[in-house]
Amino acid sequence: MTDLLDLPWTEGRADVSPREYVDACLRAIEARDEKVHAFLHVNADADAAALPIAIKDNIVARNMPTTCGSQILRDFVSPFDATVVERLRASGASIVGKTNLDEFAMGSSTEHSAFGPARNPWDLSRVAGGSSGGSAAAVAARMVPAALGSETGGSVRQPAALCGVVGFKPTYGRVSRWGLVAFASGLDQIGVVTKTVRDCAEVFGIIAGHDPRDSTSSTHDVDDYAADVSAGVKGLRFGIVREAVEQLGGEVRANFDAAVDVLRRGGAIIEEASVPSIGYAIAIYYIVANAEASANLSRFDGVRYGHRSERARTLDEVYFDSRGEGFGAEVKRRIMLGTFALSSGYYDAYYGRAQRVRAKLRHEFEEAFRSFDYLVTPTSPEAAFPIGAKTEDPLAMYLNDVFTAPANLVGTPAIAVPSGFNAEGLPLSLQIMGPHFGERALFRAAGFFENETGYWKKAPLST
Amino acid sequence: MKIDRAEARRIADLAHLEFDDAGLDRMAAEMTKILTYIDQLREVDVEGFEERERHVTPMREDEPRPSVDREVALNAREQVARNAPAWRDGFFVVPKVIGGD
Repeated sequence: MTDLLDLPWTEGRADVSPREYVDACLRAIEARDEKVHAFLHVNADADAAALPIAIKDNIVARNMPTTCGSQILRDFVSPFDATVVERLRASGASIVGKTNLDEFAMGSSTEHSAFGPARNPWDLSRVAGGSSGGSAAAVAARMVPAALGSETGGSVRQPAALCGVVGFKPTYGRVSRWGLVAFASGLDQIGVVTKTVRDCAEVFGIIAGHDPRDSTSSTHDVDDYAADVSAGVKGLRFGIVREAVEQLGGEVRANFDAAVDVLRRGGAIIEEASVPSIGYAIAIYYIVANAEASANLSRFDGVRYGHRSERARTLDEVYFDSRGEGFGAEVKRRIMLGTFALSSGYYDAYYGRAQRVRAKLRHEFEEAFRSFDYLVTPTSPEAAFPIGAKTEDPLAMYLNDVFTAPANLVGTPAIAVPSGFNAEGLPLSLQIMGPHFGERALFRAAGFFENETGYWKKAPLST
Repeated sequence: MKIDRAEARRIADLAHLEFDDAGLDRMAAEMTKILTYIDQLREVDVEGFEERERHVTPMREDEPRPSVDREVALNAREQVARNAPAWRDGFFVVPKVIGGD
């Protein structure tokens, strides 16, 4: 018997009442989340809805906790809804819970959550990826049909890849960040996790659009994003990013080559593309993102909300001790790096230079998109790694975002779609990138690939 | 780029973060390793590419208008008070910043 939650949202919702759908999600969370730990907060009173959805716990929803996975916000309750939550509610969705994340979305494994890691539903001893690991694990484990995450350097696509689900990052500015707790404002964008490409396009259509409360939000027209998911890829031009894949070997390379063959058999034109500076993406990212984070996180000062140190006797101690106690190690590391990069004497050599290399990278992407409709790489350089494997080596953790961070730096949309499994049965993923506002075409390519391969139909054994 | 304890202390002071000496030494070592990786950006020819190229956030007109709807705003004060670590008579309370010892 097929469980309701094994069906795509766009198929399952027709046969079930809104009350039954939400209750099915709540029951699945009750049964499975003790092991997976995808949720930090479950809304047991969730209203009946045609779209039960989970949202990452750095997106605010009225009268619900928003912890950002941090001790510093462990008791915070939001007085208002994020724009994406407003839009979801207006279209008949219900928020069934808030999902686990690396503290302030800083990480690639959800191990930096102050409340314990999310676990990979395919192997509970492995990471779910991050930082939106809870959102990816919740969808993969069939607890909700869809979830929102947020991206700064791949935080939706990478966990989606590691959990075997669809993860999508829109063009920078396509979705309002009003109510998303800011990490790096020049990079942050809200994304979508679902089982299938069509589900993803439909949910994205609900949250996309201009919002005057986010001054970076685009006035570009919203498209019918699911319109072409069955249109095929005949004649479309895909560029394999040479500099990204040339040193790649083993199971990830073999899987990627097989994925490209699927596109080729569908009539796509496959050629090698060149983005010479793509290898600098992680170095750029850890300057630009951390610099912006160091400024954004200055608001957590123990004065207006969040943790205040009980030992603080002076205002300076309120600042230093509240932040010292409230932030975890990774967040402090990033604030320190960002503060350094912006500090007097180092600004030009670090922040200024990183922005200039970023401008060059953007130029190279624009050049590549003159010749290609899409650029493709694997989503992640490896399958889900064991919990604890990288927590002592921050740089090794950062390098997990090597294929995803470029799209954030240049602001282009990108989608991760399941591309099969390795010998251990862990999911692998194909990343398809498109030019600015090329979302509809991205769903077309990803929809073709999914339809040919059908990997989404396999559910993790541990559920 | 090598970060020593004194430099880490300078940055921690700017960032308003409290560390003990052991924590500061660990942080300095980790920052050194990460910045050594980041130093590869020095080898890139960035001639013709500017720091601020197209990374300017558009500003709206400077006209006051509500950012949340009326019902939310009416309830917000109570919730703001509940989220505050210390609150009295409609104000956030902090340790005394002038006078005293």
